[in-house]
Amino acid sequence: MAEGDAQSEYPLGDALPIDVGAFDPGMNLLVSGPAMSGKRQVVFDLLAPAASTDPIVVMTTDDPAPRIHTEFEDRQSCITPETFRIVDASGAPGDDDPTVHRVNSPADLTGMGVAFTEAVEAVGSPPRLRLGFVSISTLLQYVDAERAFSFLHVLSRRTSAAGYLGVYSLDPTTHEDRFVNVVTSIFDAVIELREEDGNREVRVRGLSGMAPEWTAFPY
Amino acid sequence: MTTSEGGTVLIVDDDRDVVRTYRRYLETSYDVREAYDGESALSQLDESVDVVLLDRRMPGVSGGEVLDRIRDRDLGVRVAMVTAVDPDFDILGMGFDDYITKPTSHDELRATIDDLLSLSQHAEDVRKYHSLLAKRAALRDGKSAHELDRNEAFADLEERIESLRSTLEAEAADYTDDARFVATLRAIDDSGEGAADG
Repeated sequence: MAEGDAQSEYPLGDALPIDVGAFDPGMNLLVSGPAMSGKRQVVFDLLAPAASTDPIVVMTTDDPAPRIHTEFEDRQSCITPETFRIVDASGAPGDDDPTVHRVNSPADLTGMGVAFTEAVEAVGSPPRLRLGFVSISTLLQYVDAERAFSFLHVLSRRTSAAGYLGVYSLDPTTHEDRFVNVVTSIFDAVIELREEDGNREVRVRGLSGMAPEWTAFPY
Repeated sequence: MTTSEGGTVLIVDDDRDVVRTYRRYLETSYDVREAYDGESALSQLDESVDVVLLDRRMPGVSGGEVLDRIRDRDLGVRVAMVTAVDPDFDILGMGFDDYITKPTSHDELRATIDDLLSLSQHAEDVRKYHSLLAKRAALRDGKSAHELDRNEAFADLEERIESLRSTLEAEAADYTDDARFVATLRAIDDSGEGAADG
């Protein structure tokens, strides 16, 4: 296997200014922050840190696939159909991009699951993979809290069981605190972003050996 | 769900000998209903049916058509296709939860039904887990940590959450089976509103 064995960790490169070099296989991370805090960038940075050759699947409920493609091209990621797939449930019309698996609506949880299994199969059912999900907030506009929670629970456990890394985004300011609390319990660690006086900060909760303190995180 | 708790199984096949055989295999453990064509299958179907064994090739309304109409009704029922040949098509995309190849055995039939029953139970447990977590979040909202520490009902809730959490984590190993992963999502998709309370 080119990328070491299935059990090895997922390096995070310089995606975050924290004292952690890699995530364990099977981990699920929540990137949480208000609009314009750059959480989508953080999700994508965690999926494609420099020098990573891990296969990537991005599931999107809001950004159409071409925009996501551009993001990964800008990161100089290897986005061949053999290593990169998008599950696009944004409802945006699209061309015949071979890397895109379309789902009519985020309300079709079964359809998203089927598209996910197809995407994983299309990149060769690899022993390592990074899954991105943008975003939980948009999913909530289509299904009730219970279904959203159940879907995220099942999807995150599916990738854990395979030893994959999962990275999800959420805007906590658009939901009740209670929902945010409940959905957070699905994840192993939470990466929180905030902006104070025009300066962005980040803190990470749930990683052992890391004090949850706000740290400067310039754009 | 275990076998002793049973469940209701609807057998749909135009071959009456096949139906009779399956009934003999199943009736000691489950409530069994039978139908010999698609129309009568649909009329026998209600929310008390847990699993449908659906012959794919029948005169009149075909198995595939029956399946589509079952899914339209959101009954939360699991459907296994029964087929004479190994399906060379995508059973997941079609909406089946599993399949059985004829001729089948007593053991295989029951194992498939028990799998599907446990899958429905698992999806129900995920929903229940959500409702317990929501309940805990609501209690935490209104009370101080000190008050909660001394609250027996809260301690009991914590215990139920932890026990359900470990059950769900143990069962999640099965998700690497694509058919089971997708069937679980389908069970979540067509679940009724608020049924997981309590």
